[in-house]
Amino acid sequence: MLFSSDIWMMIAEGVRDSLYMVLVSTVFSYILGLPIAILLVVTRKSGLHPMPVVNMVTDVVVNILRSVPFLILMILVTPLMRLIAGKSYGPTATIVALVIAAAPYVARMIESSLLEVDPGVIEAALSMGASTKTIILKVLIPEAKTSLIVGCTIVIGTILGYSAMAGALGGGGLGDIAIRYGYNRYQFDILMVTVSLLVILVQIFQVIGMKISKKTDKRIRE
Amino acid sequence: MEPMIKIEHLDKTFRGKTQTVYALKDINLDIQKGDIFGIIGMSGAGKSTLIRCMNFLERPTSGTVKIDGKDLAALSDRELRKTRQEVAMIFQHFNLLQQRNVRGNIAFSMEIAGMKKADIDARIDELLEIVDLKDRALMYPAQLSGGQKQRVAIARALATNPKIILCDEATSALDPATTQSILKLLKDINRKYGITIVIITHEMSVVESICSHVAIIDDGQLAEVGTVEKVFTQPESRTAKRIIYQKSAGGQAALGKRCIRVVFDGKSSYEPVISNLIMECKIAVNIMFADTKDIDGKAYGHMILQLPEDRLQGDRAIYYLRSKNLVVEELEEYVI
Repeated sequence: MLFSSDIWMMIAEGVRDSLYMVLVSTVFSYILGLPIAILLVVTRKSGLHPMPVVNMVTDVVVNILRSVPFLILMILVTPLMRLIAGKSYGPTATIVALVIAAAPYVARMIESSLLEVDPGVIEAALSMGASTKTIILKVLIPEAKTSLIVGCTIVIGTILGYSAMAGALGGGGLGDIAIRYGYNRYQFDILMVTVSLLVILVQIFQVIGMKISKKTDKRIRE
Repeated sequence: MEPMIKIEHLDKTFRGKTQTVYALKDINLDIQKGDIFGIIGMSGAGKSTLIRCMNFLERPTSGTVKIDGKDLAALSDRELRKTRQEVAMIFQHFNLLQQRNVRGNIAFSMEIAGMKKADIDARIDELLEIVDLKDRALMYPAQLSGGQKQRVAIARALATNPKIILCDEATSALDPATTQSILKLLKDINRKYGITIVIITHEMSVVESICSHVAIIDDGQLAEVGTVEKVFTQPESRTAKRIIYQKSAGGQAALGKRCIRVVFDGKSSYEPVISNLIMECKIAVNIMFADTKDIDGKAYGHMILQLPEDRLQGDRAIYYLRSKNLVVEELEEYVI
């Protein structure tokens, strides 16, 4: 064995915390990001309900949030982390920062997926008397499904990366371990193990995501 | 009787940043119930915009569009959506949901109309029968040919029992044989269910094969409207002539010579007119172009003949053909 069982336990907990942060943050960033994306798509100039001012404001807000570096954003939202999670460190608190950082990113990913939907199909739905709600639920989202799933795997990878960065500010999870042991204490072996685990996690999510998107895509001839 | 579609003084302009484009100018059009109405024009003539004004996918800048007596501009959003269920539309690129199979695609229009699941399923079975796609019911659009996709789109359009079907270049992406089968299907639907059909196309052959009436549109204006028979045999406007003679471009060799266009309107197709002309008038003619076909059980078509240089002989040929009740006109500027 490379390490004592204590160290392995710690690494196992790190994996658990990382997964917890990533999965919970992904779910919440989609809950926030999806409505923003729909707003962006529907209110754009060629959209179903063009509203130039609403569109521009949403666009600018999303861009601002996207351009703040994650570590800085984490510091900025510390009060919010205390308010929601009760403390400013550890996995649960980190989720707050992750969601705020990821939601605008998710919104952009979903937006670009929805824009890929053939405008002709939307026009056909309009010609059948479909309401905006019907078009969103029955045309935009189902038709963009494959692209949305691919986007989601990219988002998960990105959030995992952010969560590791959060380790620098006591965020918990594998990144935290890598920084405390690998960087602060020069324990290169622990650093290598944690980094390898991060790489493996990203790979697993990527493979699963691609499999699902391929399997559900009906555009491919069998 | 109130026309099924009544368009009055319709204008449509698109305002760009630097210039305003007049897409449609003062369109007046009545389309009667049960007609198969063709709208033909070159690309950019405004026909796509015109057909989209008939279900308000494009809102006219001014003028009125009435569907079965209802003024579309006066409707609320909800009422307009309801009315659109009566005015179905099919498209050049079919516009099917790629992630739904054939049944799911046909179900879509009925889901929008708020029909019950069991009713939808029963109706899909009927429709698959009508469009002859029973063995493809569970396939996805990516697995279908163009003609099959258009059949799915027709089934989807037909599902909610519309009064009108608008066809936006519905056969332009199909090969000639498939085009004929789709046109035949549309004609059957028109006959069986009395659904008014509006077809926009740039192909004269589509209008010839199924339309009862035709409007010729050029540069945003209607150049000519009438029965296919009348417009085809006696085109009056320059645009109509250009479109009808466009296939005659092969007459190039006749430049500078005297040419006539002979129109067959179903009366003399079994008489060997040209042969008789040659024998009785003892002249030689050159057939530059010929296109005759069966429309509604009668033979229609036209032929371009190059006449002898001699003025008198030519006149005699024209006189002879007119005496056989054929429409004959001299082509001066149109033999390109």
